[in-house]
Amino acid sequence: MAAQAEQVPSIMKQGRATPWAYLLPALIVMATFIVYPGLNTFYLSFRNTGNTGWAGDNCIAGEPCWGAFENYRYALTSPVMQTAFGNNLKWILLMVSGTVLLGLLIAALADRVRYESPAKAIIFLPLAISFVGAGVIWKFVYAFGSGQVQIGLLNGLLTALGGQPVSWLTEPRINTVALIVVGVWMWTGFCMTILAAALKNVPTEIIEAARVDGANEWQVFWGIMMPQILPTVAVVVTTMVINVLKIFDIVYVMTGGNYGTEVIANRMYIEMYTSFKTGRAAAIAVVLIAVIIPAMIYNIRRFRAQEAAR
Amino acid sequence: MNKQIGYLFSTVVIAAMLITACGGGATTAAPTAAPATSAPVAGGIDCLGAKAGDTITMLYQWSGQEETRLNEILKPLVDACGLVIKPESTRDQALLDTKVQAGTPPDIAFWNTAQLVQYEAALVPMDKLGAQGENYADFFKAPGTVNGKWLGLPVKADIKTIIWYSPAVFAAKGYAVPTTWAELEALVEKMKANGDVPWSMGMESGDATGWTGSDFIQDILLVKQGPQYVLDLISGDVAYNDAGVKDAYEIYGKWARDPKYTVGGAQGTLSTSFLDAIYKPYSDPPEAMMVKQSGFAGGEVAKKYTDLKYGTDYDFFAIPGAQGLQGGADWMMAFSDTPAVRALVAYLSSTEGGANWAKSGFDLSPNKGAAGNYIDPALIKKGEALANTKGFTPDIGDTIPGGFGKAEWTALVDYVNGGDLDAALAAAAQVQAEATK
Repeated sequence: MAAQAEQVPSIMKQGRATPWAYLLPALIVMATFIVYPGLNTFYLSFRNTGNTGWAGDNCIAGEPCWGAFENYRYALTSPVMQTAFGNNLKWILLMVSGTVLLGLLIAALADRVRYESPAKAIIFLPLAISFVGAGVIWKFVYAFGSGQVQIGLLNGLLTALGGQPVSWLTEPRINTVALIVVGVWMWTGFCMTILAAALKNVPTEIIEAARVDGANEWQVFWGIMMPQILPTVAVVVTTMVINVLKIFDIVYVMTGGNYGTEVIANRMYIEMYTSFKTGRAAAIAVVLIAVIIPAMIYNIRRFRAQEAAR
Repeated sequence: MNKQIGYLFSTVVIAAMLITACGGGATTAAPTAAPATSAPVAGGIDCLGAKAGDTITMLYQWSGQEETRLNEILKPLVDACGLVIKPESTRDQALLDTKVQAGTPPDIAFWNTAQLVQYEAALVPMDKLGAQGENYADFFKAPGTVNGKWLGLPVKADIKTIIWYSPAVFAAKGYAVPTTWAELEALVEKMKANGDVPWSMGMESGDATGWTGSDFIQDILLVKQGPQYVLDLISGDVAYNDAGVKDAYEIYGKWARDPKYTVGGAQGTLSTSFLDAIYKPYSDPPEAMMVKQSGFAGGEVAKKYTDLKYGTDYDFFAIPGAQGLQGGADWMMAFSDTPAVRALVAYLSSTEGGANWAKSGFDLSPNKGAAGNYIDPALIKKGEALANTKGFTPDIGDTIPGGFGKAEWTALVDYVNGGDLDAALAAAAQVQAEATK
């Protein structure tokens, strides 16, 4: 034993500190850009507007006040934040289901045609456009001309067919849905790519066997393919939920959060950079993180389970 | 082989170092025309001890032609004292905030009144820097004064209390420019009865949507309530959901929500960009008769319809019955006290500085030295209005800090979009109360 140990070159011997030395650069980066800002945000969320005292200073006599939690009172109970929570929920329900279902549909269908690659490339393309760019493009699609001509694509079509132009982005009943369509247009390609890869991994032997046993395509899809790709679907869904919770750019560019389209992240930006209310912005950020964390934990658990299964 | 690569590599490194050294040198080098001495007076400009090669870092929102005009205005000072201006142009206020919070602000920033309050602790008072206060009317010094300290020098102003129209169209249709508010209301009804759309009120402007409308509201307040009422709103003595404000919103809303009074009705008001709204009275046939917009609108009309002539095809009249003007100003604020900054402040606040500003055609100068020096006919007319005004109220939303501007726009947008006026105003009043307590 001792002889063997001597044969190991000294450079291969690791002291207790060696792993830490390897970890150090990553730890420094994490501490500087994630841990410190995170803790500071948490601290600021209990401070007043100018960070000169506790948040209770912002209270107005005669109004409800949560003391040091005053910023959270705003973040959780103010009418504008309630609108934002409602809209974020709409975004999650419609955009996640929209992107995942469309992505799955296209992935399953494209699998059966000769022009699979170009078809998938076209669906994937919008993801290469920045959110702001997409916002600007769709602003033109939805443009509402109050004057003699309709320059917006949708209203151009509507009026050509004899209909009345619709102000898509200011009409409170439809504007959030109009924005979600933009998000779906952008992210369907992402879901499609991942789901298509999962579908390709379903062993053909099982599918062939099912077909031989007389299963129709519908049964093959739901009985064979779906159970096989379910873990991937779960990952895609949670990833999309996290993505959608952070949604900001489309709303900021297209409506600025006006006309009842406010979302959490846009409100955070406005409080920070338009109103300079650091405390409130920090509180909204903390709330947003709190909402996102369960989705992240679920995602990590799934990932670990998948790794363990391999 | 290895040697060659090493040689090549070091050559490249040395070359790169030289290039960066040259680059750095070029920006800090004094202009060739700098005079050898820092004589206190050169062509009427007092350098106040600033030496050739002294630098001033600046941050402003102007670009393109605006930047050219600023350079034109500053040229006499730069030439006389050999100062080096290091400007940075951005519309992103976050950049200024970041610089100030990081403790590396520019020497000079040209920004809005709200920043005077926001950066109060970091700013150097104007009188300490030798600004010549006698060249400014009191109503121009007041908004720049925070807790008794004169922190901001208004350098450029634009008046907002005006309505643009087409004299040719008015003549053809037999409309006369109104001289009282009652006449304006009567004119609007007459246009409506004739089947003309009186107003173009589009106010879409990205995340700043609503500012065109809040300008209009403030003008109505100046007519119905007077300038002191507006100042009381700014100070918080009058709540934003006061009856007078509600009355102004209702007057505005009657027009802005009805397609008979404004192009496209409520949805047209909300989704037409403010720029498109400016064009509508000048399209063929005109989509509207009038647009209430600040002084800059004339320039936009001239750019879009190059064959139209100021005075015959497009012109403006002051909102009849308005007691005092509403206007926006760009404020110069100083974050450091150096001889070069002093020289700049002294120059821009001097009679000569005001005259040079007027001559450059870069909007109006609040400096009394500007009088009689405008060249552009539209600026001459605006300059007269500014010189003769009894009062000048800054934009309410720009002046109250803490996001009141945004809250004001939100109230307006919600109201025009069919929301409840009392609730909208109460929400804005809440923000006003938080900001002014």
